[in-house]
Amino acid sequence: MNQKRWLTVLGVLLLAAVMIAAGCGGPAEEQAGEPVEEAEETNGEEAVQEPASIMLGGSDSEVNVVARLAEEYMNDNPHVSIAVTGGGSGVGISSLIDGNIDVANSSRPMKDEEMDALRDNHGEEPYAVRFAVDGVAVLVNDANSVETLTVDQVGAIYRGEITNWSEVGGDDREITLYGRQSTSGTYVFFMELVVQGEYSERKRNMAGTSDIVEAVIGDAGGIGYAAIGYADEDGVKALDIAADQDSEAYDPTVLENVTSGNYPLTRPLYQYMAGKPEGAQLDYLLFEVSEPGQGIVLEEGFYPITEADREFNKNALQ
Amino acid sequence: MVSITEKAMRAIFIFCGLAIILFLVGILYILLSNSMPGLIELGLGPFFAADRWNPGAYGEPTYSLLNMIYGTLKVTLGALIFAVPVGVSAAAYLAEIASPWEREFFKPIVEVLAGVPSVVLGFFGLVVLAPLIARVFNLNSGLTAFNGAILVGIMALPTIITLAEDAITAVPKEYRHASLALGGTRWQTIWKITIPAAFSGITASAMLGMGRAIGETMTVLMVTGNMVARPESFLDSVRTLSAGIAIDIGDVVFNSTHFHALFVAGLLLFLITFAVNLLADILIQRKPEVSK
Amino acid sequence: MKMMQTNSNVTLEETRVQEDPKPESTKLETDVENEYCEVKVENLNFFYGSVQALFNVTIKVQEKGVAALIGPSGCGKSTFLRVLNRMNDLIPGTRLEGKVSIHGENIYTPNTDVVNLRKKVGMVFQHPNPFPKSIFDNIAYGPRIDGLKDKIMLSEIVETSLQGAALWNEVKDRLNEPALALSGGQQQRLCIARALAVKPRILLMDEPTSAIDPIATQKIEDLIRDLCANYTIIIVTHNMQQAARISDHTGFFLQGEMVEWGKTSSLFTNPEDQRTEDYITGRFG
Repeated sequence: MNQKRWLTVLGVLLLAAVMIAAGCGGPAEEQAGEPVEEAEETNGEEAVQEPASIMLGGSDSEVNVVARLAEEYMNDNPHVSIAVTGGGSGVGISSLIDGNIDVANSSRPMKDEEMDALRDNHGEEPYAVRFAVDGVAVLVNDANSVETLTVDQVGAIYRGEITNWSEVGGDDREITLYGRQSTSGTYVFFMELVVQGEYSERKRNMAGTSDIVEAVIGDAGGIGYAAIGYADEDGVKALDIAADQDSEAYDPTVLENVTSGNYPLTRPLYQYMAGKPEGAQLDYLLFEVSEPGQGIVLEEGFYPITEADREFNKNALQ
Repeated sequence: MVSITEKAMRAIFIFCGLAIILFLVGILYILLSNSMPGLIELGLGPFFAADRWNPGAYGEPTYSLLNMIYGTLKVTLGALIFAVPVGVSAAAYLAEIASPWEREFFKPIVEVLAGVPSVVLGFFGLVVLAPLIARVFNLNSGLTAFNGAILVGIMALPTIITLAEDAITAVPKEYRHASLALGGTRWQTIWKITIPAAFSGITASAMLGMGRAIGETMTVLMVTGNMVARPESFLDSVRTLSAGIAIDIGDVVFNSTHFHALFVAGLLLFLITFAVNLLADILIQRKPEVSK
Repeated sequence: MKMMQTNSNVTLEETRVQEDPKPESTKLETDVENEYCEVKVENLNFFYGSVQALFNVTIKVQEKGVAALIGPSGCGKSTFLRVLNRMNDLIPGTRLEGKVSIHGENIYTPNTDVVNLRKKVGMVFQHPNPFPKSIFDNIAYGPRIDGLKDKIMLSEIVETSLQGAALWNEVKDRLNEPALALSGGQQQRLCIARALAVKPRILLMDEPTSAIDPIATQKIEDLIRDLCANYTIIIVTHNMQQAARISDHTGFFLQGEMVEWGKTSSLFTNPEDQRTEDYITGRFG
């Protein structure tokens, strides 16, 4: 009996040790060298046939479209395995700095201190690619009678200066604010572009963008902001936004409004990496900004990059 | 002559026991080492100032934890107000009234309840309970402390039921016999003799349930709205310490002031939970006291 | 002194028998006969599940006085006692055949108010079991669950009961102190007082002094002698000498059967059944 118990305890400890070791697998670069057998089977037609893996992570706004792009790419390039995770722009950037992922999806530009940390940790410069354009939609409940607002009005609402829908031409109903917590890329973008001040302290903060949508669906007086790609749900609608009182209001779900730059609330979506991309990673990024890639971006509810964005990308992709 | 096997077993068990202490020390170390920079940079004042939690401010960032402490208290106490009476009554039912097959049926259910993932309960709260609360109380939004309190109460119930049932079962049956022999009904015996005699054990169960409730994160994160302002009522949105940490820590810039401030909040939460559990332990040790 | 006590009781008993117009008979019971029996058990068979514990027990206990039940351990004495206040109901799977009447009423009908029965038939247990409450609250428990709230009346009942249990002088200054702080003997007298507080007619005592020291035992025996003037006391005891000392009637139980029942004096000096004699003389215990 003594022996049996001892063996069991030993077995459990061994199992635990194995699991811990497996979980502590090294950063992405170290895992790339595993499936060596595949390389020998291919016929060496294409230049890059070594098996590779790319790990991307970060922005919740970007996770779906990047996953789709990755899937398409992997179909044509089976020797490359790509993994995409969410968690928020901040998570992605932290993971990139820590060396746990290869590419950070971020719906906001990297901050100076983050770039410094990356330089310190990797000894490399951070490189950025803009692969899509996002419009941020302002969402309200389907039953809300308000259809358009100016950027100023939205800002005033989010600053807590306007508290009732009747003040902007709607029903007599209290406004409930929904948004993300302060570390979300969308939060920062919205704050700098629209709110231009402090958010109202009565804003409800949701853990993820889909939670914002769920909340507005359930609240007739609710208002929230989300990437346009998330706005296509029953129960919510996107407001037409006008840059100011004298401008026209534009519907973000109409493609031209965003690509033409008329819709006021747009931002580029970024991907960051440590050091200039090369090999499979470069190839994948080039796919993203190619015509088929941008077609997928469009299908997923985002918008193709502009000429200015292509200029910006030259630094990393050439 | 102690055999090798016994020596080895002893060594392994001692190691495991020490390992647990090591884990705790490790956690404390991480908490302290990551919160110290924040405390050094900001001092204790900003954390208890009369403003709000706003590290991502447009202007000057502020770091007050007060509203979050208040939120934690609101949700925790609300959960206990719901869970303690329900839990103790359920425990009394299981210990005193249920027939053996009824007990066989209900105890596994309680255990299943304990196993429901917090995120599942949170989703239920977000999608089902929130609109219901909004409709019943004529609110705009059901993402309130009330919502959180109900769900956390549900999560604390199994702890409370199990421990309270143990306490009630431990009451010597001589007391029950004496009460019944005096012409007490079963209900009178339960309410006036058995439950008061189990009082310290029941209180301990409530405190442990409270410890569970204080630290509950995921569910609260999803259903309380995480508003940084001070809630106006129980039917208003709140932000608890646990959810406040969780909602920010995923995205926060590593080693920034915000980051350290979050660890200060974590340290505070740890200390509060520790105090509650310590109190519960003391109560469990006490012998049954004279009750009215 | 003890002998004198027994003698005086014998005298009392004979007087009572002379007053009794109808001697025990095997004819059909009439209501008149029932009136004179405080506790009447007829052909009682008792089962724990499939195991029979009491076999055809018939016994009639008169009002007031002390009846003792003796016999070796495990012979059913305590089970029998618990039949009388239906405390066996707490044990699952028990079953009973026969008739049990208390003060003329059958107590095993579907309509019997068991709560009320237990108020009329009080019980004191082998191990003193005061509640973890104050002395006052222990005694007041019975009247309180009856609905009595008036503080003055409760205090009176507490005092009367404690006096009745010969404990008043020892605790009158510390009624609010915990009952569990009392000595074993005091706790047992407290339990007696507690039982008296609900004004029973009958007091069942299950080996009340077996867990008590000899000096306290003496006090409790004296107490029983005093109480039996106003209450019908049925006491189960392992201690034959105790039975001989304090009881008027004695029943000898052996393996679930009541072998002999009679006046204490005659049962101890001149038992009818051989088995009784064997037990009394210590041939088996």
